[in-house]
Amino acid sequence: MGLGFLIGAFGVLILAHAAFSTIQYRGLLKILEEEFSGPPVNVIVELLLALSFCMWAALTAAGKFLSVHHHSEENRIVSLPANMDFLIFNHRGKVFSPGTDMRLKH
Amino acid sequence: MVTKTEETQLNRLEGQVENGGGGAWDYLCFVRKLKVRRSDKVLKYGLSILNDPKKRSSLGPEEWTLYEQVAIAAMDCQCFDVAKDCINVLQKRFPESKRVGRLEGMLLEAKGSWTEAEKAYLSLLEDNPLDQVIHKRRVALAKAQGNMSGAIEFINKYLETFMADSDTWRELAEIYVSLQMYKQAAFCYEELILAQPTVPLYHLAYADVLYTLGGLENLQAAKKYYSSTIELTGGKNTRALFGICLCTSAIAQLTKGRNKEEKDSPDLQSLATAALEKDYKQRASDKVSVLGSALKSLKVSS
Repeated sequence: MGLGFLIGAFGVLILAHAAFSTIQYRGLLKILEEEFSGPPVNVIVELLLALSFCMWAALTAAGKFLSVHHHSEENRIVSLPANMDFLIFNHRGKVFSPGTDMRLKH
Repeated sequence: MVTKTEETQLNRLEGQVENGGGGAWDYLCFVRKLKVRRSDKVLKYGLSILNDPKKRSSLGPEEWTLYEQVAIAAMDCQCFDVAKDCINVLQKRFPESKRVGRLEGMLLEAKGSWTEAEKAYLSLLEDNPLDQVIHKRRVALAKAQGNMSGAIEFINKYLETFMADSDTWRELAEIYVSLQMYKQAAFCYEELILAQPTVPLYHLAYADVLYTLGGLENLQAAKKYYSSTIELTGGKNTRALFGICLCTSAIAQLTKGRNKEEKDSPDLQSLATAALEKDYKQRASDKVSVLGSALKSLKVSS
């Protein structure tokens, strides 16, 4: 997953570089007073490269898939919660003496 | 609903905290989230956090929930002074609180002063007649005194107002089962299955009640519900597998005289038996012979 993130970051950097090159190219064209027909070939190549890197990173850096089935080994319900609203204290644990060091010290 | 991953995580955290690995606060939060009843450990580790002023201040506003949790655990472990101290601290902080009032009522209940606890709850109910939690505590009070019919009456009145409370339906079902009123318990479990159909343990309990009631239709319905439990747990529930075997043999015994319409039940029983044997071989291989003889006796009587 680390490699995926790295490649994704790399793709974003290439994209930013392509953007800067296009802006620079337009500045150059303004100086030469020509029309802006389209970005130069190297920018297009850079864009395609950045696209492929980002797509690869998005697919591989997806993370761990969790199971959706409610009967799969991880999701199956093993026990119900103890009904804490109906807790009674009148149980057999009364005969056990509490620990003598259990005290709230303030 | 405690899932398998949560259970393993809880056990791991518990082992970690017991062996001195820290993480007591995570354990306490997890116990609170899953609503399991581990009062001795909660008391021990909660007190260790609360008695240490540095750890206490690092909790921030969660400190008060911890006081409440430790108070209830202390009452469960019969350490009434600890509970009283925690409640005093909470009362100083939240003077007119219903939650603290309920804790005081619970302390009176734990000490055994039933009439005073009843008075406390009734006074809290006067101010807030629709407080669900206090109603439930009154039920618990009746149950603790052994007054099961009174508890049933309170629960029925409560359920007339708050019909959607699954926990209460479950409590009512358990009370009925303890009093052997199985038909009413079956009704309660039906309500539970209607409300939460994907919880396999309700299906299992309903199937158990139907099997206990007996009679041909009940046994056939019980077999269906055991099967649905197996489906909902992915076949890992041993009790449901045993239930299928028992139901099939009981049905066969009942229909011995009549000419049977051959259903596909022999498949079901053999599948359940095979699954049981595989499970036992994997988890308790020394008991496979005991299982074999038990299943054989079922088949012989069928």
